[in-house]
Amino acid sequence: MTNNISYQEALANYEAVAERPLPEVNYEGLLEKYHPDYFKDACVQLKIGPNKGDICHIQLAEMLQADARIDEADLAGAQVIETDILIIGGGGAGCAAALTAAETGARVLIATKLRLGDSNTVMAEGGVQVSIEKDDTPQQHYDDTLRSADRPVDKKLVAEMVMSAPDVIRWLIQQGMQFDLDEYGDLLTRKAGGTTAPRVVYFRDYTGLEMMRVLKEAVRSTEIEVLDYVPTVELLSDEDGHCTGAVLSSLEDNRYKLVKAKSVIIATGGIGRLHLNGFPTSNHFGATGDGLVLAYRLGAKLRDLDSFQYHPSGLAYPQHLSGTLITEGVRSAGAYLLNAQGERFVDELQPRDKVAAAIMRECAEGRGVDAGNGIQGIWIDTPGLELKNPGIFNARFPKLIKIGKKSGIDPRKQPLLIYPTLHYQNGGVIIDKHGQTNIPGLYCVGEVSGGIHGRNRLMGNSLLEIISFGRRAGIHAAKYSPRKPFRKISIEHLSRLRRELMLADMPMDSKGPILFPAYAKFETDSDYSGLHKNKKSK
Amino acid sequence: MNQTTETLINATINGKAISAPEYLSVIQALWHAGYPRIKSVGCLEGVCGTCRVLVRRQNSQNITTELGCQVLIEEGMQVNFLAFPTPAQQHYKLEDIRNSWEVQDNFHTIFPEAENCRHCGGCNTTCPKGINVERGVILAAKGRFREAGDLFTECVLCDLCQSACPENIAPNHVGIFSRRVTAHLHTRPSNLINRLERLRKGELKVVI
Repeated sequence: MTNNISYQEALANYEAVAERPLPEVNYEGLLEKYHPDYFKDACVQLKIGPNKGDICHIQLAEMLQADARIDEADLAGAQVIETDILIIGGGGAGCAAALTAAETGARVLIATKLRLGDSNTVMAEGGVQVSIEKDDTPQQHYDDTLRSADRPVDKKLVAEMVMSAPDVIRWLIQQGMQFDLDEYGDLLTRKAGGTTAPRVVYFRDYTGLEMMRVLKEAVRSTEIEVLDYVPTVELLSDEDGHCTGAVLSSLEDNRYKLVKAKSVIIATGGIGRLHLNGFPTSNHFGATGDGLVLAYRLGAKLRDLDSFQYHPSGLAYPQHLSGTLITEGVRSAGAYLLNAQGERFVDELQPRDKVAAAIMRECAEGRGVDAGNGIQGIWIDTPGLELKNPGIFNARFPKLIKIGKKSGIDPRKQPLLIYPTLHYQNGGVIIDKHGQTNIPGLYCVGEVSGGIHGRNRLMGNSLLEIISFGRRAGIHAAKYSPRKPFRKISIEHLSRLRRELMLADMPMDSKGPILFPAYAKFETDSDYSGLHKNKKSK
Repeated sequence: MNQTTETLINATINGKAISAPEYLSVIQALWHAGYPRIKSVGCLEGVCGTCRVLVRRQNSQNITTELGCQVLIEEGMQVNFLAFPTPAQQHYKLEDIRNSWEVQDNFHTIFPEAENCRHCGGCNTTCPKGINVERGVILAAKGRFREAGDLFTECVLCDLCQSACPENIAPNHVGIFSRRVTAHLHTRPSNLINRLERLRKGELKVVI
């Protein structure tokens, strides 16, 4: 690590000032040199599967090309459950799909690795994008999304998403979700980095928490069946390549269950807990990319596997909170980013990839703050914002005040040390506007799907995406599933996987999906001995 | 700030003697010491309510209920995880409440226990978010749902208050009910409604 400036010295250099001019910033070559997506050796070519030959992050490639956790013998005597629609994952996208499907009378089962609501949704802070201000339009929302994506996207998906946004908010309010309102009861908006209009609606810095507890409560009040603590280890298929259900592993009784379903909706979220490139993450404990692995094995095509979002403002210090998110809403409200010399170095409302890369540049070039134990970062000037806008933290960012209490730092009085944190998987499974993949009977919604965000997602577009496409998939699956007959269930597709692995001369000693990050020691936990597959404990 | 030698802290977690650096949460400390832990781990940011722990600090008579990801390990601390299934909850559909005049009536059907509150304060003591839970229940029972709901802004549905209640009230669900009816029946933003109207009339399109 470059010699940065010590925490104490940098703190002495800092002074709370309400207004600071933006210096000249050079964005030329910034991403190529500092963004982790461009790190040398970060990516490899996939050797097997529908994306053979495509570029993919090396850690993700290892998982996509791992052997399956089960074979025929594991399924002998397993309990079989039947349902119309199986939803894998109990976050925002899964619940939205479940609620809409169940409204039509379809039988719905949600299978979740941990508990209903354990997801990245509950942790989302910033808000939801929806063009409602009078000078704003869905077209502008669409244009902003494409411009920040910085790579071709599936334009039809983006258009569907932005046009559906107002109805998504109406639906959320009907489910009982609160938003921050002005004195006349209108929705307040704030501006996201990389956008041309204030368009993010929110509830404090608890937007995801408010959304998730409402959806969870709504799901629990319906006939939807919920199975907690049942990680999915494989999909089921028939001889025509249809997806016909899934194999669940129960953390309660250490046994496998087979779910026979007419449609399967994967809503498993992202992969932050793989800690790509050794980064801390703002993601939930369960975000290990299970859905990508399951879908890929069955032949679903993926996209943009080399691109991930590093959120600029992950807390860097104190260490036990490392990676914890500080919402972009704080920058949106006007907080500056300052280096160890107490100077601004980037337009804080550029898209996230640029801001993150600029922070890494400061630290690489010796203008970062060194907090010891390998911790480095730059300041987010929260006292400056409080000075400019007294009382804003109490009113708008109660979660940040709580984080401050846990850090022993009052963000209104002292700036917080931040460094980019692994936040979001930009790509994923290719879907159509109903969330359907190229595998009949298989849908993917939310972070596990790809095509909307290109190389860089805008704040507020993910909470929008999960509800917009969750509802679409729920409606579509409910319309076509209940009348269909059940099809045969098998894990025949694993023979193809193993044949391909052998022909490509790939190692078959690691089994996927990994289900939990290595440090949780699932594979050696005697409580789950019946489900262990990766014998080498890491 | 620049530590070269790490101070190790000794504590007992789930009956196991653990030594770990002082900057780790009790979940991280358990992992650090090589013990597995999967259940009772969630967002690790204090918003999912899964990692409930009982904590007794050195030289203290008190046992507190906290969220494991938010508790830093301390010398002599005893910690036990509370991993038991979520209790069954009330079933209600917001659509069944036909208008705002009938909320209170519906509330007492859904939560008949709520008016039996003994004011024992157990819910307040157990709440890891410091919410005035008891007041929320009392306000809801009087039909003051907006006020009650506001008190539960930070509720993470950890269910500790429910476990503490001798009358089997589910105070957290009372809180979320209060919040939901307020939005469902009273949030009507004109800027959103206006935009929905323009979309309905086909005035706004996206050119790809």
